[in-house]
Amino acid sequence: MDFSLTEEQEFFRRTVREVVEKMIIPKAEEIDQSDEFPWELWREFTKLGYLGLRYPPEYGGMGLDKVSCMIFYEEITRGSVGFAQSVIMNMLMGTHFIYRFGTEEMKQRCLIPAIRGEKIATICFTEDQSGSDLASIRTTAVKDGKYWVINGKKQWITNGPICDFATVLATTDPSKGLKGLNFFLVEKGTPGFYPGQKIQKIGCRGTVTGELIFDNVRVPEENLLGEEGKGIQYLQEILDEIRIMTGAMALGIARAAYEEALEYARKRVAFGHPIGHYQLIRAKFADMATELDAARLLVWRAAWMLDKGLTCTKEAIMAKMFATETCIKVVDECTRIYGANGMALEYAPQRHFRDARFLLYGGGTHEVLRDYLGRLILGKL
Amino acid sequence: MEILVCVKRVPDSEAQIEVKEGKALKIEEKYTMNFFDNLAVEEALRIKEKVGGKVTVLTFGSASSLDVLRTALAMGADEAILIEDENIPYKDEFVTAKVLSKVIKDIPYDLILCGREAFDTSSGLVGPFLGKMLGIPVITMVTKVEVKPEERQLEVEREIEEGRELLKVKLPALLTTQKGLNEPRVPTVMGLMKAMKASIKRIKAEDLGIKPDSILEEMKVEISKLWEEKKKRQIRWIKGTPLEMVKELIELLKTEARVL
Amino acid sequence: MGGILIYGEHREGKLKRVSYELLSKGREIARELGEKVKAVILGNRIEEAAREASSYVDEVFVFEDPILENYNSEVYLQILERLIRREGPSLIMAGATLQARELFPLLGGVLECSVIVECIDIKREDGRLSYVKPFYGGKILGEVIPKKPPHIVLVRPRVFPVKEKPSEQGLIKKMEVQVDMSKVGLSTLNVFKVKEKVTDITEADVVVCGGRGLKAPENFKLLMELAEVLGGAVGATRAVVDAGWRPQSEQVGKSGKTVSPNLYLAIGLSGAIHHVMGMDSSKVVVAINKDPTAPIFEYADYGLVADLFEVVPILIEELKKERG
Repeated sequence: MDFSLTEEQEFFRRTVREVVEKMIIPKAEEIDQSDEFPWELWREFTKLGYLGLRYPPEYGGMGLDKVSCMIFYEEITRGSVGFAQSVIMNMLMGTHFIYRFGTEEMKQRCLIPAIRGEKIATICFTEDQSGSDLASIRTTAVKDGKYWVINGKKQWITNGPICDFATVLATTDPSKGLKGLNFFLVEKGTPGFYPGQKIQKIGCRGTVTGELIFDNVRVPEENLLGEEGKGIQYLQEILDEIRIMTGAMALGIARAAYEEALEYARKRVAFGHPIGHYQLIRAKFADMATELDAARLLVWRAAWMLDKGLTCTKEAIMAKMFATETCIKVVDECTRIYGANGMALEYAPQRHFRDARFLLYGGGTHEVLRDYLGRLILGKL
Repeated sequence: MEILVCVKRVPDSEAQIEVKEGKALKIEEKYTMNFFDNLAVEEALRIKEKVGGKVTVLTFGSASSLDVLRTALAMGADEAILIEDENIPYKDEFVTAKVLSKVIKDIPYDLILCGREAFDTSSGLVGPFLGKMLGIPVITMVTKVEVKPEERQLEVEREIEEGRELLKVKLPALLTTQKGLNEPRVPTVMGLMKAMKASIKRIKAEDLGIKPDSILEEMKVEISKLWEEKKKRQIRWIKGTPLEMVKELIELLKTEARVL
Repeated sequence: MGGILIYGEHREGKLKRVSYELLSKGREIARELGEKVKAVILGNRIEEAAREASSYVDEVFVFEDPILENYNSEVYLQILERLIRREGPSLIMAGATLQARELFPLLGGVLECSVIVECIDIKREDGRLSYVKPFYGGKILGEVIPKKPPHIVLVRPRVFPVKEKPSEQGLIKKMEVQVDMSKVGLSTLNVFKVKEKVTDITEADVVVCGGRGLKAPENFKLLMELAEVLGGAVGATRAVVDAGWRPQSEQVGKSGKTVSPNLYLAIGLSGAIHHVMGMDSSKVVVAINKDPTAPIFEYADYGLVADLFEVVPILIEELKKERG
């Protein structure tokens, strides 16, 4: 068993870290406070080409292994969660189905510009009444000659209000439940497709999250991505990856908080010593370091399994849940280490604390995941 | 133009460093390319973009130094050479310059760029030593470089105490970089890919006819002791009337603290 | 053979302060070791500098010629190399100035000898001299011993005190200036004397930082004056930057800039940890605050519990007097 990263992966990690420290970290606080999408940073960063990591060179990508991708997600999230969410949306969920099932024209029109950062992508599952329960979505797609007509309202869409195109989950036959779910490509400018309200969030600020409205939106039939009725099956293909990716994001947030608290504990003086001198504070770091390491190993192991083509549903859920719960614990501890300063907007820990909340439902709520994992283990009884 | 750049892998300026037992150092695993060397790589790339040519980066270090060579390649350097140092914990600047000069003697070059000094040693010796060993003119603390390829010379601005000086120097020459020379580029993903796949030439010190023992002999200095700079501040209260306070403060800053 | 040689760096015929420091120290070491101490000065119209130096040393080598009026590393190098090969000093000292940091490493290169840059202390044990210098940006200090003479040592300015000029008079030797210009590969085209106001606080040797204690934005004029007298830059706490009194570029602290100047003056600021984390690695910290319980005093070397509006103007006055 070789627990080490390859030389290339180490080099990749170090380089990305330096890029994030140079370009993203200096802007992180401003992004959080203004809650505005950082267009200038987006343009600068996407020019470097990192958004294509998952895709092959013919689309301007790097065809990188999944472990390296996870490293990337962790590093960029450590920089700014708000920025990272938009970036990762373009890299993964927002473009995957077009890559897999879109026509060459769609790829030229949407995938390639998204990789270049010229277009903003998004994916729409959630609705007002439907979160984890995908079968209950009410966005419909009805065939009309050579077109599909889509009606509905999507909620909690990352990049929603600013997107150039969206992959929309809609049902073509509510009676079929999950088997009636399909993905459709809808592009900005299509009549009836427009952004609705922006959601004011306590965390992950800087990512524009909001409603998307579909009012008799007509799209050509090829905009149904893949075969009818196979939407859920296609989603299963990347569900593991999405979960592991969420785990990687958890690592990024946790590490940002942890490193800040470490520096603080080394500097902040109380009773004549830096507070890191005291046992209980040391104990906190010992525990945090252990759990962070464990979380990282779970995330990398699951990513490694993806690279090897092994089924990793269980491992992906474990990685996501453990990394998230570790992160929630770490950001909490870190604010405690700051004492009263943990409450002040002036110091970073409160931002990590707020940002971490999304992990509890992004990629699946823990209530659902825990039950699902348990079922996988115990089998049909 | 054939440009050579000498780079060094050093601890990050924020890395924790502790002294263990006399001379051994425990350094936090945070390494990076020396800041001034980064400027040198960037300048080499800019010159190449203006007048064409090739940029080769070299380093004298252990296998872990491959990292910084790859960073240079990711930025756009064409070739990289690692001269392996047989894991000697401390080699002085003289030895480093000598080893570099032995390798450089066999490479065609027009210009050599170095950082003005390395973060760990803060000496700024390798550049000047190397220049003299190769018998070429050296200009340190360069803040601007203009290439005049037809005349085989450079117009160079360097920092001096009073401000800046504009000099003319014939090629081949060696320059060391100063802060303000340029803003180094961030590696693109294409550059990263290229760097990850690149094969880096590795030269062993033995192949140059240098044996590990003889390296130690060639060193001009020996470090007998290392210790941590004590950072615990003990406040000294200055009392009296405002005028008395000021006079005492100035005196202390002059004689005790020696910052005035 | 043997003996100490001091490089008398000067500006337009006036010896630099660091030259006096080294003449003093060199003389002291020479007396201790029972060796001779000499000095070398290169330039044009340098009689006064030579005379000043001669009070401290046994002999001053004076290289005076219009060709040496402006520093040229190759020209100076030729002269120094020839002198040193002939005189064979065991210790050569110069101030670690920008000029010396170029010239003496080059000299070390041609003489193939050790060069110690930024020496902050000289120790003597068993008749052997060793030199203390900083490593890793000053976090670590080390004692360095050259293996063979000559030792070339560049000493950080302000480390050794200037001793009162002795009443003696050493020999002033006017030397022949011989330079092979065909071997000089570089020449100066122009010199720009720029008294650039240090605006980047991360580059400044001295930072004067103010907080809410300044009471109003106009009062920062006081700090700007102080900074100017000290040749430094003005910094600000997050509180005053947020209040719009000072620009973001001056903010010192975790979400601003981290500075580590030689001298940091914390004036009218309480010293919130967030701010402290941005200046804690400053060499010397002076805090001026009316409140004796202000946390900044925990991170300062010198503390003045006083009204800054009383103390700072006097400080500026006295410093101006020092300048002369």
